[in-house]
Amino acid sequence: MTTKPKLRESLTAARRPISITAVVDCVGALASHSVHGHLYLYDTNKAGGSTGFGTEELRTKVRRGDQLLWNVLALECEAFVSIDDIVIDRAVVEPERRTYPGTDVAYWIGTVKRDDILEAPYRIKFRVGTRTEPVTTTLSPALFG
Amino acid sequence: MPQQLAVIVLVDVGNALESRTLDGNTYLFDNMKLQGSENQGTGELVTAISGSYWSDGSQASEQVLNWLPYSLGSIPPTVPRGYEAERARQTDEQALTELDHLAATSGTSGTDAAAELSRIRQSAGRRVKTTRRTRGRLSGQKVLDVTGKVVSDGGTQAHSYPAPVITDIYGQAVDEKVIYPAEYGSPDLVTDGWYWSATVDTSRPGTYAYTMRIQLHQLVEQGGESLWEPVNLTCESKIRVTTEPKRNAFTKAGLGLLPVPPRAFS
Repeated sequence: MTTKPKLRESLTAARRPISITAVVDCVGALASHSVHGHLYLYDTNKAGGSTGFGTEELRTKVRRGDQLLWNVLALECEAFVSIDDIVIDRAVVEPERRTYPGTDVAYWIGTVKRDDILEAPYRIKFRVGTRTEPVTTTLSPALFG
Repeated sequence: MPQQLAVIVLVDVGNALESRTLDGNTYLFDNMKLQGSENQGTGELVTAISGSYWSDGSQASEQVLNWLPYSLGSIPPTVPRGYEAERARQTDEQALTELDHLAATSGTSGTDAAAELSRIRQSAGRRVKTTRRTRGRLSGQKVLDVTGKVVSDGGTQAHSYPAPVITDIYGQAVDEKVIYPAEYGSPDLVTDGWYWSATVDTSRPGTYAYTMRIQLHQLVEQGGESLWEPVNLTCESKIRVTTEPKRNAFTKAGLGLLPVPPRAFS
């Protein structure tokens, strides 16, 4: 098969926000009243040096000015899970809750304020199913510079 | 019919496109951890599939597997179906309102019509060119960023990738007729109406590999227009069929034989 000469330019030059995604096994979390063993964290900065993919102790490599965006996926698409709060040193980043335009689906977003972060651990509070009390991470994911 | 099993295929699309491989950029999950699935959340998932048997040892039922591909770091699949199309329509309407306003005020002094038009063009975003190969769910939509805003210049602004699309499932498990995969249409809310599903012959215990052909989409610029260029990659996973009895995850019941003896039907 012949191909046309490559006049196409790949559009990946822009600096992307770093997305941090929590995958939650809602059934497991509801059964044990804890997300321990039922939480898998990932981010999109693997190439930049993040580690701990798929664990509860994801370490996300960040620089000042990086935009961070947290969202959540339920392991079973019928189950409900959302992020209730992100507890982190507010001198590092101040995550705030927003919704995708025209929906009530939320994400958390913030901009990294500092460059010299040794380790900034944080906790995520989840709302799972119809439970009214949020479930908090037991092990701490972290940002580092 | 037993409970249907779901395999989530979470792809770091940005990294996969840059490195041109799904190895190390794909994370697989299923809802069978309790039944013995191994390596959840990694690229090496082994999905445990327990057969179900009558007391005489004959097979009682097959198992059903479904695959759900998601994009890591994109707009999540929980937004309403057709969200990109809906955003394209909303931003068009907004631009028309702003144009109305501009038409009404353009005669007055202090209005820079050219600058205002340029701003409206920016906020209206740009539709992606539809080609023969990208007709379908991506056609006529606008490029969005990861917060759902339209992107007017894909060259300088970060954008959200569309969800990966499984285009084939093949390999050992299919060749040996252990799984029978096919793509089905459905009113499913999270996969735009299409999904891959397979029935599993649970009468032959063993570990079987299968390969998924997965299509990602890269935004490229051609002749001043943006389009989604398909990129086809593959990734492997495994199933392990055992004669372990199925268990109820909530009650932990069902460790013995099935409660209904086959004679009741004869």
